[in-house]
Amino acid sequence: MADYDSRPRGGRPGGGYNSRKRRYRDEDDFPSRPQRRRYSDPPGAKLRKQLLGIAESPLKRVEDEIVAIARTAHEFCSSDPEIREEFVALVAQLVLEQPFKIPFVAAVVLVLNTIEGGNVIVAEVVSRVAGLVQTGVKEGRWRDVKCGLKFLGGLQGVLGGEGVWVVLEDVLGKAVDLQTERGEETIGPELVKIILFTIPYIMASSSTDSQQKAASMIENTDIIAGEPHVLQSLVDPYPGDGKSEAASTDGVLGLLQKQLQAEAAMGWPLYPNALENAPKHDLPPITIPDTVNPGPRALFPELYFSVYANQELETVPPTSSIASCLLRDALVDTINVLDYNRNAASRFLIDLDCYFAPGTFVKRATPFDRLRDIEEGKSTWKPEDVAVDAVFSQLFQLPTPEHKLVYYHSVLTEACKIAPAAIAPSLGRAIRYLYRNIDSMDLDLSYRFMDWFSHHLSNFGFTWKWTEWIDDVSLSNLEPKKAFIQGALDKEIRLSFAQRIKGTLPAPYQELITEEKEKDTPDFKYNDESLPFSHEGKEIMALIRKKGSEDDIQPIIEQIHSQAIDMRLPDPIALSTDAYMTSICYIGSKSLSHVLSCIERCKDRLLSLGTAHPAGRRQIIDSVMGYWKDQPGIGVNIVDKLLNYTILSPESVIDWALSRNGSRLAEAYVFEMVAATVGKVTGRVRQVVLAATARGLSEEQKMILKQTMETERTAMRELFQVMEDALVGWASGAKDQQVESGDMSSEDAMVRRWGERWLRVFRRRFAVEEAWYLEAVKERPEGEGMDVDGDANPAQGAEGNGTAGEGDLGEGIE
Amino acid sequence: MPGTVRNTVERLDRPSAYYHSRNRKRKYDRDNEDGREKSEEPAGDPLKDATTLYVGNLSFYTTEEQIHELFSKCGEIKRLIMGLDRFNKTPCGFCFVEYYTHQDALDCMKYIGGTKLDERIIRTDLDPGFQEGRQYGRGKSGGQVRDEYREEYDEGRGGLGRAIQAERLKEEEEYGRGR
Repeated sequence: MADYDSRPRGGRPGGGYNSRKRRYRDEDDFPSRPQRRRYSDPPGAKLRKQLLGIAESPLKRVEDEIVAIARTAHEFCSSDPEIREEFVALVAQLVLEQPFKIPFVAAVVLVLNTIEGGNVIVAEVVSRVAGLVQTGVKEGRWRDVKCGLKFLGGLQGVLGGEGVWVVLEDVLGKAVDLQTERGEETIGPELVKIILFTIPYIMASSSTDSQQKAASMIENTDIIAGEPHVLQSLVDPYPGDGKSEAASTDGVLGLLQKQLQAEAAMGWPLYPNALENAPKHDLPPITIPDTVNPGPRALFPELYFSVYANQELETVPPTSSIASCLLRDALVDTINVLDYNRNAASRFLIDLDCYFAPGTFVKRATPFDRLRDIEEGKSTWKPEDVAVDAVFSQLFQLPTPEHKLVYYHSVLTEACKIAPAAIAPSLGRAIRYLYRNIDSMDLDLSYRFMDWFSHHLSNFGFTWKWTEWIDDVSLSNLEPKKAFIQGALDKEIRLSFAQRIKGTLPAPYQELITEEKEKDTPDFKYNDESLPFSHEGKEIMALIRKKGSEDDIQPIIEQIHSQAIDMRLPDPIALSTDAYMTSICYIGSKSLSHVLSCIERCKDRLLSLGTAHPAGRRQIIDSVMGYWKDQPGIGVNIVDKLLNYTILSPESVIDWALSRNGSRLAEAYVFEMVAATVGKVTGRVRQVVLAATARGLSEEQKMILKQTMETERTAMRELFQVMEDALVGWASGAKDQQVESGDMSSEDAMVRRWGERWLRVFRRRFAVEEAWYLEAVKERPEGEGMDVDGDANPAQGAEGNGTAGEGDLGEGIE
Repeated sequence: MPGTVRNTVERLDRPSAYYHSRNRKRKYDRDNEDGREKSEEPAGDPLKDATTLYVGNLSFYTTEEQIHELFSKCGEIKRLIMGLDRFNKTPCGFCFVEYYTHQDALDCMKYIGGTKLDERIIRTDLDPGFQEGRQYGRGKSGGQVRDEYREEYDEGRGGLGRAIQAERLKEEEEYGRGR
């Protein structure tokens, strides 16, 4: 990682490129040039490099490193105020950006405090970090608050008076107040979590008389942490039938409370208690405001998710051990903070064992089977399992993780690239566990699993031991396992091409990739002379292709109508619409831009077709999805674009997907289509709400925006209601279409089960939107508003992760 | 340095050295009088709100649909422009992806740049925005410049560099086959 540090400050342009050459050129100025080019960093850069690299190298004893850094810091900082400022700022920033290093950085500061004159620097560090905590509280950056308090907790022994305990007591007081006001409050538990995660750091510091305080604090947090949160069931990853191995998932807060109670009962066995007679520093007061800012991200109870639970050998800490929560917390923070450099994030994951006591884990890349040979009493925790588990906990976080899902994909990809021998087998076991439990998994999560799985394979030559799932290939398409296989293969094909994927599969899977799927351009059905309206279909297609005018096309459309009436066919308009839309698909089959330019040309007719006839839109979707039935991903894409053109409406997509055919619920692409459509609607509502609640609007603007907001919100609620009705129909077995084919009883039950899974996902979506809305329209003190994007963008991403600029961490570091 | 706190590790959502060097060349006369690089003032930075990415090192056979599939993982795509050979109008291994938001483009730099598409490591770079004409290769023979003189055989990008292929062909014609 030394690489990151050898660069000049990033604010200047060209950082890391030409400037590097230039730096070497500077050496020409040295009077007598040595034989080999030597270069030593200026003091500030040297100190920075040392501190940044703390605990990273397994070759150095970290105890020696800590002392050395403290000495260097003392030497350079005493004489140069600029270097001192940089050092203090870097300490604070490391605390926020690389949480693994908090104990080590705290140790440097403790050593510095014992060196004569070092205490001045320490005082600055304490007040700087306290300032960060204060800013974090004000802005609702609760992770910053937690990291800052962990660090200050590590310094408890050199803090005057009660030190960090005072802050924790205030925080607890606030949490209790909130809890009494409103039971469903999510900030209260978040505050308690911060307290509980700080305590172990205090206990590990060189403080005395903390045991009593810890015990009473833990006793007091119990009223909040001891009860599961009311929203917990909403975010349960395995709502299933309770039959699976992954039956119950505990809340992190409750677990941590229990773990700390156990530690306290044992008298904190693992924590040293050595106080040195060193200068004390007063912690600047940190105040908790009356109205607590929940921060930019909606808070939900956090559950402890693990893909390595219940193995025959224990490769990750059990939830009975406090190590489970402490490791997970530091890992998750590291992963989420470092989203701006996935390589660094995955490096941390691989080097996890550097940051914990020797003996915490087995050697890296120890094969699972070899764990049996580990002697009794020694740890069998695999560092790579612990790391991978933490990434999965984010990938499978409900309702949504902090960053886009693809970030967590990329972390796993990089980790696998850095240490394939260690990570790949861990991923294999994770995949098997998830697959085994897919029947009881939340539908949103099984879709995420599929999306990650196919994307991951695409980065590693599409190799997977498909043979182990061969028995499931012959299952009904309504079985979640089979649906997963089919969906994953389709996604693989979309990232690659059918023939390539076919080549990676064992024989029984070959039939899942039909000859039609291998065709680049699906046939134009009207080329089949035996099909009704074949002649007209071909004519319409030819006219659209040569850009004929609407006046030329209209007579042929009418021919279809009159013939249909003669033949006593129902719904002649649907028939002509089918011919028209199928022609567009065929002409545009070469690529997405082809179909888009064709739609653009035919926009007016398509718009009027959609509105003129109640079933017009449904027919348009039918034609698109019918034409692309073997490559439904392309169809979904086209439907998405048609929504943007308002040729389709969200209701029409929902109607197509949910109201007619129960087996559609098992298709991954249908879920994708509906999720994207709902995402568009909710994204739009959020934009409008943000615009309407922005500051500095005139009364008139406010009125207009409020009106728009109400209209959009009503439309959204209606859409959710339509979904609710349709899905309740499937889930309860009330839909009459449900009795369609042969083996009704079991298929019926499966469709019902799919209905329930869907219902859960979209009820949660609705609840999340409502919660977001209530938070967004709350009155806030000046300067604490939600982030508002100036230019409202109607089509903003479906995921809508409002991650506020991660670049501006830590006020006052310049 | 107001507003630009340096992170403890490098950020992946910065424009590449390529962009900077091109930009510097263009601005050289005006800005670099004192021989030092001026800091890129946020106000004048053409990438400040960039929503477009240049995507490079694609295979010639990679389709719009494949690109769409991968890049939409970072947000809805507003526009996708395939890079084409100036003469044959066939894909020549690059494209522009335009998102609706700047954040999506930055996320794409962080999460997708440097990962694989169609089994090749692809490169992404922030771009000030697509302009007509930029979809064509600027190499002598119509493709990208890098595909003119490439000495390594790259199956996904037409084998050897075109200039080298042409040279070999000429040699064969002049000296006969089997040389």
